[in-house]
Amino acid sequence: MKRVYAFESKCLGCGLCEVYCKTAHSKSKNIIKANKEENIASAIIIEEILQPKVTSYFALQCRHCANPKCVKSCIAGAMYKDEKGIVQNDKKKCVSCLSCVLVCPFGAVKKSADGKAISKCDLCVDFGESICVQKCPNEAVKLLDDKEAEVLQ
Amino acid sequence: MKYLIIGNSAAGINAAEAIRTNDTKGEITILSDEEFPAYGRPLISYYLSGKVTAENMHYRDDKFYKTRNIKVLLNSKVENISTKNKETCLQGGKKFLFDKLLIATGSSPFVPPIKNLDMCKQKNVFTFLTYEESSSLKKAITPQSKVVILGAGLIGLKAAEGVFGKVAKITIVDLADRILASVLDKSSSKIIQNHIEQNDIEFKLNASAVEIRGENNVSGIVLSNGETLDCDILIVAVGVRPNINLAKDAGLKVSKGIIVNEYMQTSAKDIYAAGDCIQSLDLLSNESKILALWPNASNQGETAGLNMSGAKVKAPASFAMNAISFFGMQLISAGIIDGEKTVKSIVESSDSSLKKLNIHDDTLIGFVLINCNRRAGIYTALINDRTKLSTLEYDITSKDIGLNVYPKEQRTKKIWNSRGCNI
Repeated sequence: MKRVYAFESKCLGCGLCEVYCKTAHSKSKNIIKANKEENIASAIIIEEILQPKVTSYFALQCRHCANPKCVKSCIAGAMYKDEKGIVQNDKKKCVSCLSCVLVCPFGAVKKSADGKAISKCDLCVDFGESICVQKCPNEAVKLLDDKEAEVLQ
Repeated sequence: MKYLIIGNSAAGINAAEAIRTNDTKGEITILSDEEFPAYGRPLISYYLSGKVTAENMHYRDDKFYKTRNIKVLLNSKVENISTKNKETCLQGGKKFLFDKLLIATGSSPFVPPIKNLDMCKQKNVFTFLTYEESSSLKKAITPQSKVVILGAGLIGLKAAEGVFGKVAKITIVDLADRILASVLDKSSSKIIQNHIEQNDIEFKLNASAVEIRGENNVSGIVLSNGETLDCDILIVAVGVRPNINLAKDAGLKVSKGIIVNEYMQTSAKDIYAAGDCIQSLDLLSNESKILALWPNASNQGETAGLNMSGAKVKAPASFAMNAISFFGMQLISAGIIDGEKTVKSIVESSDSSLKKLNIHDDTLIGFVLINCNRRAGIYTALINDRTKLSTLEYDITSKDIGLNVYPKEQRTKKIWNSRGCNI
């Protein structure tokens, strides 16, 4: 299946992926409204690596594990792996117990901003394209299938 | 191949799902003594409070059993198992043959002997472990109800949250000197207790119920400290016990729970067991103990299912872990919480939040996070993998955790592994 992979050497840590991730998951789909008015947690986490002379960054989101611990631990049956292999959260069923946060070894699941469910990468299936990949100015995140990822690692 | 599963909750359902990934043709039958299709058991308090509707109680969608060709028989209590004939007998005499059997019978509430307590007679006494119990409790409470809950553990506190706002008074009694005694240390539990008390819920700690007043209905509870509490709804939530009788009577090896190996096989050939009814090997103490936890049951059920259908896989490591909230205060904890002298505890706390990391012998062995849940799973992974903290990029007590704690090579390997967490 396809996942979003990060290229550490290319990431500027600019945060545009987060801005667009919030936009894609907003009601308005408007970049200003989404980031200024709507309270949305980005499904992307930008991590900083401090080195002696330079600081580098990488963007991290759900790895859509083959056998996801979050799905196994979910008490509500709200987390599931869909037929495409994407790990999804059914917001109607989620009670925000954070069992998924407890077990995700990547720390890639967050409490949603309204506290009612969780926030995680869904590869923007409803949006039509993985917007973080589209909007990254330096190709630091790419949507790759398993074979492409193997070649590029 | 005939697969028979006794129990229709986390372990049973995950087992059935796993069997289907290996065997598309075999006959799978689930027997349940409950009247509902699989539901999220920990959601019963949310159902009680009204936060979760009946429709959203389902653990799997309504097509689950049909699309996977899984036969489920509700209201079907198993009376006995014959290992010799490879058959089980239901109450009423109906028999089921099996080639492979999974016992996933869960646990039952423990009701301590208390003078004049008679659950068969007294109509306003409840335990709180099933959808049915939640449903009848919901019907029984009124805005005038004075509720007494015996047990300030996870179940008792969630029951309190469930009835909160719908009753006149809630009092919680516990024998221990603190709430959540089996989950948390004193300082962590105090933060949660203070928070719950702000909601007008009263705790009677270091106390137990010694006598019940009332014949057909409980009207009062006499405590060990001499006090008498008015009561018209009594909820008994002092603990649960694994349901081992079926296994025991069939001659399977049992102790406090059913004994299984790492493949979830019991002492009898072709019979497996998983979930709250078994003893799990605790990764941290290396002892075989009851670890009645939802993720544990799901994992064990899956392992059993895979092995029943031809695979040979070991169950993932088990250790205590909880993610739960009380009146909006979020608790995430795992591993060993109450450290001995050799354990270094690093604590950052305020009135409403806490981060406690227990470190022993260069490894993280436990943590408590209250209202600071960010990326908690990375701590859980450090416990699970027994990662030597000195091999990491920074001191985990010095700042917020991230995947950047792992050296570049390890981090890249984790992120780029196409199977995700299953390296």
